[in-house]
Amino acid sequence: MTTLLPFQKHIIEEVHSPLSSDLLILARGLGLRKLLCTLLKIYDAPSSLVLLVGASPEEEAGIGEELGVMGVRRPGLRTVDYEMGRAERRELYKQGGLISVTSRILVVDLLQKDIPVDVITGMVIMHAEKVSATSTESFIVRLYRESNQAGFLKAFSDDPEHFTYGFSPLRAVMKELRVQSVRLYPRFHEIVQESLSRRMADVVEVYQPLSESMVEIHRCIVECMEATLGEIKRSHSTLDLDDLNVENAYFKNFDYVIRKQLDTVWHRVGPRTNQLVKDLAELRRLLKFLLSYPPITFLKYLESIIASNTVTESGAARQHQSPWLYMDAASNMLTAARARCYVMQRKASDKAFAAVARHAGGEEDEWDVLDEWEGLQGRERKGPKWLPEGMTPVYEELPKWDLLRKILQEIEETIVQNPYPPNAPGTNLVLVMVHDNKTCALLREYLTSLNASGTVDPDRPPGARMLDAHLRDYIFWKGRGLRHTMQAKGEMAKSLSGGGSLKRVAPGAEEAKKDGEGEVSEALLKKDKLRERAMQQRRRMRGGKVPEPVGRSLLRGGAAAEEVKMEEEAVELNSFIETTHASPPPLTLNTMSEEDVIELVDRIDSESFDQDFGIVPDEQIVLIRPYGDDSDDMLLSELQPRWIVMYEPDQSFIRRVEVYRSSHPGLAVRVYFMVYELTSEDYMYLAQQRREKDAFAKLIEERGSMLNPILEAPTRAGSGDLIKTISSRIAGGGKVVNSEPTRIIVDMREFRSSLPSLLHAVNIQIIPATLTVGDYVLTPDICVERKSVPDLVQSFNSGRLYTQCELMSVHYKQPILLIEFEQDKSFSLQTISETRAPVKSAKPNQPVEFNASDTSTIQSKLVLLTLAFPRLRIIWSSSPFATAKIFPDLKMNHPEPDPLRAVQIGAEEGVATMVEGGWNTQAEDLLRCFPGITSKNVRYVMGKVGSVRDLCELSREEMESLLGTEGGKQCYAFVNRGTRKATRQAA
Amino acid sequence: SRPIRPPVIQPRRAAGGTTQTIIVNPCQRGNPVLDAIKNVPWEYGQIVPDYQVGATTAVLFLSLRYHRLHPEYVHTRIGKLENRFQLRVLLMMCDVSEHEEPIRELTKVCLINNLTIMVAWTPEEAGLYLSTYKLFEHKPPDRIKERVDKDYSSLLRAALTSIRGVNKTDVTTLSSNVGSVREIADASVETLLACPGFGEVKSRRVSEAFQRPFRNAGKSAGARRGETPVLPPQTEEPALGRQGEGRKQRAPSPEWDDLDLDL
Repeated sequence: MTTLLPFQKHIIEEVHSPLSSDLLILARGLGLRKLLCTLLKIYDAPSSLVLLVGASPEEEAGIGEELGVMGVRRPGLRTVDYEMGRAERRELYKQGGLISVTSRILVVDLLQKDIPVDVITGMVIMHAEKVSATSTESFIVRLYRESNQAGFLKAFSDDPEHFTYGFSPLRAVMKELRVQSVRLYPRFHEIVQESLSRRMADVVEVYQPLSESMVEIHRCIVECMEATLGEIKRSHSTLDLDDLNVENAYFKNFDYVIRKQLDTVWHRVGPRTNQLVKDLAELRRLLKFLLSYPPITFLKYLESIIASNTVTESGAARQHQSPWLYMDAASNMLTAARARCYVMQRKASDKAFAAVARHAGGEEDEWDVLDEWEGLQGRERKGPKWLPEGMTPVYEELPKWDLLRKILQEIEETIVQNPYPPNAPGTNLVLVMVHDNKTCALLREYLTSLNASGTVDPDRPPGARMLDAHLRDYIFWKGRGLRHTMQAKGEMAKSLSGGGSLKRVAPGAEEAKKDGEGEVSEALLKKDKLRERAMQQRRRMRGGKVPEPVGRSLLRGGAAAEEVKMEEEAVELNSFIETTHASPPPLTLNTMSEEDVIELVDRIDSESFDQDFGIVPDEQIVLIRPYGDDSDDMLLSELQPRWIVMYEPDQSFIRRVEVYRSSHPGLAVRVYFMVYELTSEDYMYLAQQRREKDAFAKLIEERGSMLNPILEAPTRAGSGDLIKTISSRIAGGGKVVNSEPTRIIVDMREFRSSLPSLLHAVNIQIIPATLTVGDYVLTPDICVERKSVPDLVQSFNSGRLYTQCELMSVHYKQPILLIEFEQDKSFSLQTISETRAPVKSAKPNQPVEFNASDTSTIQSKLVLLTLAFPRLRIIWSSSPFATAKIFPDLKMNHPEPDPLRAVQIGAEEGVATMVEGGWNTQAEDLLRCFPGITSKNVRYVMGKVGSVRDLCELSREEMESLLGTEGGKQCYAFVNRGTRKATRQAA
Repeated sequence: SRPIRPPVIQPRRAAGGTTQTIIVNPCQRGNPVLDAIKNVPWEYGQIVPDYQVGATTAVLFLSLRYHRLHPEYVHTRIGKLENRFQLRVLLMMCDVSEHEEPIRELTKVCLINNLTIMVAWTPEEAGLYLSTYKLFEHKPPDRIKERVDKDYSSLLRAALTSIRGVNKTDVTTLSSNVGSVREIADASVETLLACPGFGEVKSRRVSEAFQRPFRNAGKSAGARRGETPVLPPQTEEPALGRQGEGRKQRAPSPEWDDLDLDL
């Protein structure tokens, strides 16, 4: 373990005292983890109990490991998670030491007094930026401070940008944490500057321009983004959306910003705006994928988007399709993306169709492409067997690949030319840093396929072998997978509309289904039809008639029209697969098949073993790793590389390199820094730096002008005014004083919402339990099911709410549905009309939603619900804060609920009630969506099978015995539809 | 300024309630809500509630602005209602900005008097509620029950999008790249990673949803069955310890917390 740098030592000296509580905000990449571990090491003692709160599982593992290295081993950092039982946890807390706890478990343990609160030595909270008045962490701090004033609390954050949202964010966080002092350490802090600037890093910045086709696609995406953004602004002229521009939209937190802007009305915005916001996110992803995905994967993704965009979840034709798909830019994007992968060469008869396609796409230079095809036609076809006739692969590599290859070569040459003395610190290993595992795997594949190819063919670029494999995979995917998916959709469209606007998908699928799998002639027939249709389309466009509603999307051109072409291609490819009996390529990234491995193993003999499997000298090692936040510090100091290639820019990693350099005197590090010129990547890197700096400036300003919050010890919940059940109105009031504290039983799952915390804040004792019926039990008779507005919509759609109300009605006298709106959001259910002119009340242009016979509105569903359950009461609460006021009101004059009874209600015989709350909610939600599974049998099924996968593997008979004949049949059909293995056998 | 309707004299059919019309208490004359009742005819009649929208369903109308001025009004109306009607609705028009306090108070009143509150924000919405109550008088609640009659594609979509972070494009990607649900359930994280659009987080989530057990098996068995939440403080049997093992690595827990932004 390396020693601390001067500024790190300084920070430790500042914050280590166990007598004070601090908030520390550090610039990313300055070694927060190391500081944290040093502190934890100081605090580690069997006589103390220090809790680490808010660490993700990865961070827990990383911190544990680093502590182990630092010598904190017995017992080191222990983690508490959902797998640990209650008694076990209690024992662990008693032992003391360093313990990391997930916040939702900690809350429950604090409430149940499983953890001896008064002896906690201190608490270390990570990600302090996420703490807010309604977060679990602030609940934890309140419970902690309630009975423990002496312990320390250290909060850390390395995300200063997060503190820039909202009104006096720093003060809000400090208030919730009950911390008096804050320490800020930006990169430009004097001490940090001094420690790091002694040795400047040797950085080679390489700016790589994009290839022509990529520039084109990039331009198209940005154009689509601009249009989408304009659309949002236009439909919400009342909102202040001026600061929304495309540059901002590059950032991931743009979604957050736009949600913030629309937040007050979010649950009321129509599906159209909703779609537009989603589109923006999609386009931003495309930008990212353009730079990181190989051409074919990008094309695949693009085609998936188009294929999935025509039908809604309910199966009806989409009313609000993504508008960008209809733009010319989208069509150009698809054409350009395809031209990067392969060129389809057509027979003479197909020319007309090509011309139509050109027309629809509006692509000028497609003529050139067409000419190219003509030229290619003359040549002898010499592609491999898996390549369909007429398809010529285009080997376009991502520009950075070649750049990386050259850089690696340069490094190799440099090592040979000026070797370092053998005892110099550092190793000659090359470390390549990328953003994610996916790029990691891709580069690995690229570099290995390079070595294997040996000599370089002038016609084929170095990565051709890999690109071939990709294309082969793509052909199979399109011919089989995509076609299958589209076919399923076509069927659905047919059953729903029997024609209508979706007919354009339906006929193809219908026919394909009729002739089963094969019959090339059938496929050709179908192609003719498609072509005919395309011709019609052209004629109509020429005529310039008013578009009929039926073919609307066909006429409007853009990428959506490309769907027909895509479908046609898919059918063609499928027939090709049929004729050649091609086998599907392996799906994994590694292209080596099993036979290859066996062959390889056979080849090995004892002499060459050392050569193949011995220790490789440093110079030959190229290590490709994804950025891993704080664990990168560890990586650097363990490997001690001299050569680092940053394949993608990352601000915090540069700082890590600075720290690494400064803490290893005498070590020469060269960093190659690769950026695509003039792209979102370039822009984002610069903007990120600026934003961090601004954030710190703002924080420093706020700290300067901040009034320190006065903190008073919170009073113990339930201990306050005990006399609640006596009303002074009753003359004499001669009843027995009920000395029981006010309490509410809360379902474990509800701890992800903020309501339990707020209820606790108004002096109500919270008792966590696993409830089968309801979410909150207020009195022995009153049971409440809480629904936020999105929840309400969702559980109406799934029918779950009906079942829940049914259960509540059976077991409680007063079943209550709590409809909870969010704080600061508009308290209304009505959809905002999206027309520009404000709608005056009682004018004829009422929004369409006001059709009483329409059963899809939330209002009409509520009516149905109340008609079905006349005993059900509804609480309309404008925010969780309001709910926290209503609940005590309803409890007044009523006896306190009995937790034991509440848990037993509705719990089935033989199903264990899980006190320590260990259900995998995600899996449960997934399971509920399967056909044949209802709210009634879901728990039973979960008791019988281990996981969703286990359920999927059941045979038809087993499933029928589990779910009943009908349900079992449906479920089996659902699970096994379109199984690849079956088609493989058929092929 | 609106045209005054001639008073309609109704035979007392209210008690039967078999008509297709909403019966309106004459005291509601002039209420803008009446104009907003669409698709259903209405007529005046001598009834106790403000609106009778079914044989067993009665509605009281209360504007919060009026309530602020005459807080006792609603109590007298509720008192007159006595125990009649199966479903008693208080249709509340939320036309004040300070709605928190009156709603809290009325919630309590309605709970005691067996009324269900419905909140409307505009006369149009209130009218919509009234006409919907009448139209749906005999409608079975099938629309909001759990349904099974769906086609494969939308079922698949609903199922897979229930996993956090999975959108409809991803559903297409999964079914076209991996295959059936069974195969998706079997797919390793590496296989999922190979699909376009799937990063580490998403792949992990999908595979966790399918492959992680529903509950922490082995520890949750019968031994815990009797254990129920006990009021603190309490004594507990000494736990059998597995401590001293020191720090152990664990697999990441599934996503339990979905408080953060999810688009």
